[in-house]
Amino acid sequence: MTRTTDNQADVPAPTAPHKDMKWIGRSVKRVEDPKLLRGLGRYIDDVVLPGMLHAVVLRSPHAHARIVSVDAERARRAPGVVAVLTGPEAAEQFGPLPDSGPAPDKHVWRVLAADKVHYVGEGVAVVVAENRYQAEDARALIDVTYDVLDPIVDPIAAAEDTGNLVHEALGTNVAYERTFTFGEVARDFADADLVVRDRLRWGRQTAHPLDTTAAIGDYDAGTGEMVVHTNSISMTWLAFGAAVALGIPSNKLDLRPYISGGSFGSKQFCWRSTVTAAMMSKITGRPVKYVEDRLDYQLNGDQHGSDRYYDVELALMRDGTFRSLKIDCVDDYGAYIQFGVGSHGNALAQVTGPYRITSTEYRVRAVLTNKTQQGAYRGFGADAGNWALERIVDKAAAELDLDPADIRRRNLIPPDAFPYHIPSGNMYDSGNYEPVLDHALQRFDYDGWRRKQEAMRAEGRKIGIGVVTANERSVYGATEFWFWFDDKDVPVKTTSTPEGVSMTVDTVGAVTVTLYSTPFWGNSSDTVAAMIAAEEFDVDPADVSVVHHGTKGGLPAAGPGGSRLTVMLAGAITGASKKIKDKLRRIAAHDMEVDEADLEWVDGGYQVRGATDSRRGIADLAMLAYLVKTALPDGEESGLAADFVYDHPHLTMPKPDRSDLGSFYPCVGHACHLVAVEVDEETGSVDILDYVAVHDSGTLVNPRSYDGQIVGGTAQGIGTALAEEMTYDAGGNPLVGTFWDYLIPTALDVPEVNFGHEETPSPITAHGIKGGGEAGRLMAPGALSAAIDDALRDHGVRVTELPATPERIVGWLQGQGG
Amino acid sequence: MKPPPFSYHRGRTVEHAAELLRELGPSARLLAGGQSLLPMLNLRLAEPAHLVDLGSAPGLDAIRRDGDLLVVGATARQAAVENSADVRSLVPLLAEAVEHVAHPPIRHRGTVVGSIAHASAVAELPCAALALDAQLTLLSADGVRTVGAEDFFTGAFTTSARADEIVAQVAFPVTGPGTGQAWSEFSLRRGNFPVAGAGVSITVADGEIVDVAIAICGVSDRPVRARAAEAALLGSRPDPETVAAAAAASVAELTPRGAGDLAAHILPVVAAPVPAWGYRASVAKSQVRRAVTTALTRAGGVR
Repeated sequence: MTRTTDNQADVPAPTAPHKDMKWIGRSVKRVEDPKLLRGLGRYIDDVVLPGMLHAVVLRSPHAHARIVSVDAERARRAPGVVAVLTGPEAAEQFGPLPDSGPAPDKHVWRVLAADKVHYVGEGVAVVVAENRYQAEDARALIDVTYDVLDPIVDPIAAAEDTGNLVHEALGTNVAYERTFTFGEVARDFADADLVVRDRLRWGRQTAHPLDTTAAIGDYDAGTGEMVVHTNSISMTWLAFGAAVALGIPSNKLDLRPYISGGSFGSKQFCWRSTVTAAMMSKITGRPVKYVEDRLDYQLNGDQHGSDRYYDVELALMRDGTFRSLKIDCVDDYGAYIQFGVGSHGNALAQVTGPYRITSTEYRVRAVLTNKTQQGAYRGFGADAGNWALERIVDKAAAELDLDPADIRRRNLIPPDAFPYHIPSGNMYDSGNYEPVLDHALQRFDYDGWRRKQEAMRAEGRKIGIGVVTANERSVYGATEFWFWFDDKDVPVKTTSTPEGVSMTVDTVGAVTVTLYSTPFWGNSSDTVAAMIAAEEFDVDPADVSVVHHGTKGGLPAAGPGGSRLTVMLAGAITGASKKIKDKLRRIAAHDMEVDEADLEWVDGGYQVRGATDSRRGIADLAMLAYLVKTALPDGEESGLAADFVYDHPHLTMPKPDRSDLGSFYPCVGHACHLVAVEVDEETGSVDILDYVAVHDSGTLVNPRSYDGQIVGGTAQGIGTALAEEMTYDAGGNPLVGTFWDYLIPTALDVPEVNFGHEETPSPITAHGIKGGGEAGRLMAPGALSAAIDDALRDHGVRVTELPATPERIVGWLQGQGG
Repeated sequence: MKPPPFSYHRGRTVEHAAELLRELGPSARLLAGGQSLLPMLNLRLAEPAHLVDLGSAPGLDAIRRDGDLLVVGATARQAAVENSADVRSLVPLLAEAVEHVAHPPIRHRGTVVGSIAHASAVAELPCAALALDAQLTLLSADGVRTVGAEDFFTGAFTTSARADEIVAQVAFPVTGPGTGQAWSEFSLRRGNFPVAGAGVSITVADGEIVDVAIAICGVSDRPVRARAAEAALLGSRPDPETVAAAAAASVAELTPRGAGDLAAHILPVVAAPVPAWGYRASVAKSQVRRAVTTALTRAGGVR
């Protein structure tokens, strides 16, 4: 539903949590787990098709070089090799990959580099052979002659450079630059008692699912149909993009989704593997499997996270109340910019966090360099944004000598201010923040920990406590794709982010839900669908059948992303269920010869209001619907089936001058994380002594699986804060490629997280649900940074750069920055 | 991540394996637990034409006492050593060091002798062998010779063993009364190779240190003995200040290494974001202090 910015009258007031539900809110074991835990899940690499070939990609060893020639003749003659496609050949036969960045024709993104390589790892050729061993052997026989160019590595220098360009056609390395002013920034800064400034650095990281991105292309030359089995893209809504790249009619392409060992954003819109497998199947006429190995994934998987340099200024009053915020951010996007600066839209959706701040200036410069391009990683830019805001809040607390929990409390948006519009225009649908803070402080025993901290510090131990109060936006809107540009430069002002489902109740009353979005990525789509359907039809979630449909002939669906799936599936399933239940009501009324208005749904059937002996159960009605046409009202079709496409719950248009971006990410949750750490001065190691996370993501659907989301996100946030970094040397060579040097935390490094929940329902979604998939990672980096500061406060150390590795911490202790 | 083609040969006995190595020449590599070699093959960092598998040769997995020595055979798994009551009581430093090697699944495949023979400059077991003055038995088609740990390690992934020699066993001196041993390391993530680690064996008699050996990993192209620290401690009646001074001395005598050197020490070919020298040395110092302190406590000699 699209509304104008000025008309918010139709946002209902927040409601109390629903307490009358049978399944929603209960901790239910995930319906996906029995097959996954018993090894009966079918992951993409388990799929073997008759005559299937295996593809490997030759990756560029250079950060920046012109391709002079590619000689694949030796490889083509190698044992087992069926086909080799070089970058220049691919550019003649296949289109560019779908790129929603600014001016895509000036930074053309292809599945294989055609004339120049732009980063170490960029594909230059694909080899397809009878098995992967032979394909890798042959890959080593391809001779590429490069004319090596100076690498473009430092984004600050690259932004000024006009001579050495990642993409010559663009004429600059700055792909996008704009300053947004929301509200009276100059006035608010002038009125403020003080301004706190910080310069911050958020290092580049990547998500690491258990499995990499993979696809099997299966082309039928007879029908012209291309089936791609894939664990990445499957959204019906934009699948035509792959068809265009492959030169296949959109209605001849079927992307069939598979379960995956996680995505965390990294498999979001991941075109490369799909197009690689499909184009090689089209060439060979045989099924072709392309499974990224971990190096392909890390170096050529298009999914690095934000890589930001921040200057932040917070204007505030002596009493600690905030006025205005200025953020100036340089983001190193790498060699391409597939999603534009969408990750800054995520940051702008909650740029002022949970705080009352009346104006904001936000400058973004998106710089291209010779590195792997950014994709999505859990938080998609809001992770860095939350961290930067919480860092400056902590700095303000220190300058005013206020307790970090106290300064936050003074600035929280009060509950009666919702729905609340932040300066950027985004609406927060509902919230009650102070109870979350109180709950967390009590669960953590904040005062007790402060006393314990003093006692331990007296023994010479470096103990610190960190607190963050931060938001998690959920359910993205499509205006975020284009509000960066002036209206005249936007060809299609997209506003749809649909999620469709089909439902049937069969002859004996059994419920099936067909989804058109990706199956299990760790986000429990089947459990959510089964629980929502079970709530509607009063059946056991374990008895609901969930089907994942391919894109061909599918309803529009955007799939997971931006913590939207639970909200969107709930809306769609509720809508489809209503259609079926309305029909059941008509059939029941007809069969019982009563007025429809006299019937109510009770325990899996319709009965006459107040008369429990006069009812028709779902199985009775289904039998009539399928088998007894003569029992149906005139004109009623046989069967029980319904489609429903749910779209964004609350999208408003940006103002033409972009002084207000409208509401585009309105389902906004809140959380408080508290952590106690001990820092070892000699080694710089940070031990987590206690960790509390209290979250409010609206109505909880399944607390058990939501806790899993929190602990998983927190684990990734710990990696973000302390260890993970995708580093490059001055020549643009990645220093990290394997888990030897890219240090994701293991179970040994992640503490027990002490969870708490609050529930403030959304007034705009089915059942009041908000998304919560990214929350842990949006909080942990800020909490840990604050705790390290607190532990090392006697040394004047502040964490201004992540990750705060042991080596960096020791350097800061020795007075080297920080 | 698939290995290049190679021929597989199974050594029926250790002598047969030695004959195969001699016959196949320098393009052959010996395979035991495979925890270093197989990843290198899959990354194509090594491309041997032949693998000679020692895994099924009988009798090589023994862990046994032989007089004043504890002998670990070439195919004894790290997990077996870790779980051996004999190792824990007779060579506690080895038992403690092996617990820090990677993770349990890797220790169930990896061998103690294989790790020592691989001669990584940051690995625990070569360093422990050096601290313990272990004796290595090298077997080839020509016969058998014994080399001390200090003479065995000659550089990063380089040893004094010839390509056709097999490290058939490693013998560790067993501890006597008054001896305390300890391993201490710091790694960036549990289970990783350490930034730096220290193995210590100290014997105390009447409150005085009468024997001391300290070895450090992670600070050179091979594990090194901290001779200056040993000298500072030998004959002393240690207190925390003496221990701290010895730890400082252990680092002072080291030659600073550049980032490129350090990377090459850690993994051949692939560049890695290795901790810089200053940090590494400061971690080494702290680990020497911690290991010496613990060893002294265990020797009953701390005050």
